[in-house]
Amino acid sequence: MNDIDPRDDRRGHEDTAVLTELNRLVYELDAPPAGLVERIQFAVALENLDVEVARWERAGSFAGVRGGNPGTITFTVDNLTLMVNFTSTGARHRIDGWLVPAGEHTVEVRVAEHESSTTKADDGGRFVLSDVPAGTTQIVVHLVNSRGEPGRTVVTPTIML
Amino acid sequence: MGELRTAGERPPWEGLDGTDRHAACVVAARDGDRRALDVLIADLTPLVWHVARGHGLDRSTAEDVVQTVWLALLRHLDRLVEPRALAGWLVVATRREAQRTWTPSRREAALSDELAEQLESEYGLPEDAALVDDRDHRLWRAFGRLSQKCQELLRLTVLAGRAEYRAVAEALSMPRGSIGPTRGRCLTTLRAHLDAEGGSR
Repeated sequence: MNDIDPRDDRRGHEDTAVLTELNRLVYELDAPPAGLVERIQFAVALENLDVEVARWERAGSFAGVRGGNPGTITFTVDNLTLMVNFTSTGARHRIDGWLVPAGEHTVEVRVAEHESSTTKADDGGRFVLSDVPAGTTQIVVHLVNSRGEPGRTVVTPTIML
Repeated sequence: MGELRTAGERPPWEGLDGTDRHAACVVAARDGDRRALDVLIADLTPLVWHVARGHGLDRSTAEDVVQTVWLALLRHLDRLVEPRALAGWLVVATRREAQRTWTPSRREAALSDELAEQLESEYGLPEDAALVDDRDHRLWRAFGRLSQKCQELLRLTVLAGRAEYRAVAEALSMPRGSIGPTRGRCLTTLRAHLDAEGGSR
């Protein structure tokens, strides 16, 4: 840290001292959450890396869904909206989802350290996975175009269920 | 993307550090080596994290932003013109993502730089209950009162002071060994807050 400010005056030394303390505090107090690196490594372990990322829409709320009853989460990317509702059934979950615009898209739910569950949305864009294990979860949507041909792939960040 | 490499093969980034290591990983990841991607994520997630936190995102929102940035990198890997510029790309992408995640009422984008520098932040730092040391406590509170702009700048300054983040200094055109006028002002404000914290006790 000493090389951050070589100014040979009192203020320079004070700045350097404060920065050194700050360095320690930022690292001790505001380190990335435990397991974040592993969750990201899981999220990127995809077959095909040519993916678009759907963002979690929080509707102005900063209350993150972490544990408890997560309820409904909306993800969007470009013109695609993915709404998912999670219902806890003990150690597992039921997932009800809705894709807009609708289409018979393939929906894959990846859960860390478990097999993926895959289903197909109906022509109204709705899908259900009734028995998904709890854990670090990511949704991958393989979109089809209006003629039913495979198109782009959309992924969500992981959520902890 | 190609096949996974055999685990026994010596990774091309081994023995390298900083920008050289990141560049070697980017090249290997483009070639389909998934281990390279994992190395980049392990090495550079703290950088992405501190940029997001420096923008005033709470910890759980920051976590989503960090994930989004890494996922967005996947299809961008092949488009990075300069593999050595990865850290810079991550910083820019994280700032953009943090700004778009921010609720409009909390946006400082409309403020002038000067005003944004002076505007005190009211949220975003973690619980400081763990701080036993009084001096640590005061410094953390003083830091929390700084503008988002100053918080980000100082976080990046301390990051850039660490060997593994030399790339950050390069990415931000921060010459090592230089504080710069804005950083100087942020530090002056920080020390003033720190003095005020001390006087109230």
